[in-house]
Amino acid sequence: MTIGAQVKGCYSAIKSVEASLQLLTAKTNEQEQQIKLTEAERMITEIKNDLRHQVIQLSKEEPQYQ
Amino acid sequence: MPEWINIIIRSLSLLIILFFMTKWLGKKQLSQLNVFEYITGIVLGGIVAIHTIDPTSNIIYALLSMFIWFIVPFAVEYMSLKSKRFRDLAEGRSTVFIQDGKIMEDNLKKEGYSTDDLLGKLRDNGVFLASDVEFAVLEPSGSLNVLPKKENRPLTAKDLGLKLAPEKEPQTIIMDGEVLLEPLANLALNMNWLETELDKQKVSIENVFLAQADNNGQLYLDLYDDKISVPQPTEKALLLANMKKCQADLELFALATENKQSKALYERNSKKLKHAIELIQPYL
Repeated sequence: MTIGAQVKGCYSAIKSVEASLQLLTAKTNEQEQQIKLTEAERMITEIKNDLRHQVIQLSKEEPQYQ
Repeated sequence: MPEWINIIIRSLSLLIILFFMTKWLGKKQLSQLNVFEYITGIVLGGIVAIHTIDPTSNIIYALLSMFIWFIVPFAVEYMSLKSKRFRDLAEGRSTVFIQDGKIMEDNLKKEGYSTDDLLGKLRDNGVFLASDVEFAVLEPSGSLNVLPKKENRPLTAKDLGLKLAPEKEPQTIIMDGEVLLEPLANLALNMNWLETELDKQKVSIENVFLAQADNNGQLYLDLYDDKISVPQPTEKALLLANMKKCQADLELFALATENKQSKALYERNSKKLKHAIELIQPYL
């Protein structure tokens, strides 16, 4: 497995984490918990964006594995 | 009127009166009966017993005496609620048996407790060594309450400095196969949600004996059919595991890459993810 594929795997895992967090935030009715979950979700979204750039960059570097 | 009808009427009416009187005297009596309340209960019962089996006695006398035995304890209770001094007189005060780890012999003697009694009471509280106790007090109800020394107390999350998520009481939303709407509404959930959750676990509502939900919207089920195993909710555990895996992956990428810019990016994100994990771990 190339690094590109690994990073892509991590990227999709992060996306799934983000979705789970959104689900939990929607389900809970505890204010404090909601705040914490939203905060975590925001961080995960930032990570996700960074990783997306990385995935694009890597796919440019490793065109032979496309 | 034949006597047996008389007895039936007396019994029923006295029974109903007794029922309401005990209701009004409150639940407190059951939990911590002091001698006075104990006697009151017995006398009330005795009055009823005498007047139900004796058709010649005057029922007015029964009602009168029951009223007296009801109204006096009721008044005492009411006044104890209002005044601390009266309460001390009526219900007694607590007596300190052990203070600062030292046994108060005078107080023991005053309450008529022998050393064996004290040790027995301490053992009731799970303390076998008198020197483990910081403070012990005999309540007016006769029970001994013990505060062990700090190092002998059970460890709590506070001692460990752990931060825990506040937890609300779970609500029972299905009982004997019937949906209870009020608890469902308390959790701000509705029938649609319940149906979806049950669909997800592939169980029909008729098969559910008991279902409880916590305030995170996790549903815990018990079915009539015990052969079907219900999966416990694993959503949160999965989420945490996923986050940890991603974090480990990012660290790995940071180590593997030689590109300085990417390395910095991976490291930064790994740290961020770690922070996020710490932030929400108490809730998962």
